[in-house]
Amino acid sequence: MAAADTRAVVLRTHPYSESTVIARLLTEDFGVRSVIAKGARRPKSRFGALLEPFTDGRIQVRFRDDRDLHTLAGFDVGRSRQGIGRSLRAFAGASLLAEILLRTGTEDPHPDLYAAVITCYDALTDGSEPDAVALGGIWSTLSVLGFAPRTDQCIRCGRDIDPGEETGFDPAGGGVACATCRPRGRRLDGVFRRELDALCGSGGRIEALDDPRLHRELLRAHLIAQVDQDRPFRSLDLFLDSPA
Amino acid sequence: MSAIDDLTAELARLPGVGRKTALRLTYHLIKAPAEHAERLARAVIAVRERVHPCEVCGNLTEDDPCAICRSERRDRTLVCVVEDAADVGAVERTGEYRGLYHVLGGRLAPLDGIGPDELNVLPLLDRVKEGDVAEVVIATNPSVEGEATAVYLQKLLRPLGVTTTRIGRGLPVGGDLEYADGVTIAEALHNRRRLE
Repeated sequence: MAAADTRAVVLRTHPYSESTVIARLLTEDFGVRSVIAKGARRPKSRFGALLEPFTDGRIQVRFRDDRDLHTLAGFDVGRSRQGIGRSLRAFAGASLLAEILLRTGTEDPHPDLYAAVITCYDALTDGSEPDAVALGGIWSTLSVLGFAPRTDQCIRCGRDIDPGEETGFDPAGGGVACATCRPRGRRLDGVFRRELDALCGSGGRIEALDDPRLHRELLRAHLIAQVDQDRPFRSLDLFLDSPA
Repeated sequence: MSAIDDLTAELARLPGVGRKTALRLTYHLIKAPAEHAERLARAVIAVRERVHPCEVCGNLTEDDPCAICRSERRDRTLVCVVEDAADVGAVERTGEYRGLYHVLGGRLAPLDGIGPDELNVLPLLDRVKEGDVAEVVIATNPSVEGEATAVYLQKLLRPLGVTTTRIGRGLPVGGDLEYADGVTIAEALHNRRRLE
């Protein structure tokens, strides 16, 4: 069978035997896939240090219709992202993004999703403002996946929200609620909502945030209410608590 | 399940042992003199009963503290932090290191559910606070996760006033640049040093 060729980024790897690795990849043309890389743990493997989380490149993969696990035939590295490990915040953010993709990703082609993830991982590797970059990358990815919070209209009465209006954030409802609807959640002013909108559309390119801790808390509440499905995100605690 | 199937299944659970090898080992033990199999069985039970993590460094040992922690010939101002007990052997085989060790029991891997609380970190901080340690050499694996673990430890150790160093990473000795992968060459370039 001929090998398919596409771009991919490594989300997670785990050893399968003494010499073999199973990798979970986000591909540009085939969504999230599991591949087996035979011999990848051998010292002189052709995959070498390439199968590391967050590394991207062109892969050649042999798909088998009747299997969930496909064979990795080749991997030409595009960009190694060892730099992400040099910042704990960047590492925690990159891990949480990978976990969201592993949880929500499908096998459908999704070039926009791939582009959002690569942009975020590139920015995290480059190292400036890892807090804002990680939040921007995660919110952008959630937006592409259809999980963005609604901030332009009240999620309860449907009324347009004024730019300066103070609103509440209702994680279970998936967005903000106007003052008339008396939301119980965290209060968000216009400035914070604009930052949140910017994060959702940023693709990971954002300079700095007024209150990163509040943004992380908001993301936590949104993930638990909208994406978690009673399976807590393992990376979330490190993302919330890691020292800057 | 027969005794042969039972032993084969148990052996096949060992790392690096497949079904065929497990079956071959089973037949070898059946054909070998009885005392060979008994010695093996006794050794397996003994290692499980006697070996445990050292109360000081976390290295696997039969005595507390372990021989390295007890040794008067070791440089007690130097502590090398490794991910697993097997890494202690790797560093020892170099013959170049004469300090003490601290075994973390893993590395930060949030997707695998391994966070700071799962690592043997607090005893390391206690060792540094207590005494004579002047330098902590962080020898976690050269991976994204190993690097993040090193950064995490550095953040905890810095306020304690101890020197923190990281083992070098890059091209293997005797290697050939032409055949090295791009990631390793990039890391070697990133970690280049001035020639004195």
